Amino acid sequence: MAERDKDVTDLEDLFQAARRQGIALPDGLEDRIIADGLQVQRARQGRSASPRRASAGRVRQFLDLLGGWPAMGGLAMACATGIWLGFAPPQALPDPFGFVQSGDTGLFADDDLVLAMVEE
Amino acid sequence: MKDSPAAPTDDALLVLFANGEQDAARTLTWRLAPRAFGVAFRVLGDRAEAEDVAQEAMMRLWRMAPDWQPGTARVSTWLYRVVLNLCLDVKRRRRGGMARLDDVPEPADPQPAAVERMQQGLRMDALQRALMQLPERQRQAVVLRHLEELSNPRIGEIMDISTEAVESLTARGKRALGRALAGRREELGYSDG
Repeated sequence: MAERDKDVTDLEDLFQAARRQGIALPDGLEDRIIADGLQVQRARQGRSASPRRASAGRVRQFLDLLGGWPAMGGLAMACATGIWLGFAPPQALPDPFGFVQSGDTGLFADDDLVLAMVEE
Repeated sequence: MKDSPAAPTDDALLVLFANGEQDAARTLTWRLAPRAFGVAFRVLGDRAEAEDVAQEAMMRLWRMAPDWQPGTARVSTWLYRVVLNLCLDVKRRRRGGMARLDDVPEPADPQPAAVERMQQGLRMDALQRALMQLPERQRQAVVLRHLEELSNPRIGEIMDISTEAVESLTARGKRALGRALAGRREELGYSDG
């Protein structure tokens, strides 16, 4: 029992000495680890910067001129509305296909227009 | 000592690192690299392999930094886990070969007298050799508990086992170390009295 206690005491003593002494880093390891870290930082900054560089080209400048992506969204919506009105006009408006098919491009019949001017 | 008393936490430093702060890389290295290397050396018993493991573990830390969520875990716990996993990889690559013990840690300051220094080196060598005789998991647990002075719950977190399992591993590990060193008490300068 006493022998076992001595072993434990010796072991604690060894642990304590090992903790106190520590283990020195090999030469150059600290510098290499820091260099790795800085390289990772630079690579990451390069990656995050590249899309900005790419988007600063002519396309971006054109978009900025028009008012950016919100303006492009509005433009796209206006185009879509125009196309929709062309295919399915409200009943209050004349059917554009009817004009094309009949070859009549006037909004009023010629006789009606003349009559209206005479009445005035 | 390179840290001031009001130094930022590892968590905060990692966020600073991810934001491109160069000093954060240096401070984290000063704080964590010695621990990574120390554990790797104690577990592997080889300075060159431990050096590779420490550098690789720190590289993984740098790469992981942008994804780190502060407050979820300790950075050092994450690092210890990576180090132990890398050590296991090294062991697998060795394909069951014997551990190399060519290098033992050099005695550091304060400098004792020559004889005492020799004896101290002999003791550290004996401890490392005894550690290398332990089964892998016992060695990991003993190193983390008695050399890194981590708590049992934290070791359990690192090794992904219960606190009871940690207690069992460290107890068995210590008994085995005691047996391995029992016959060398006189040689190591421990008196019988």
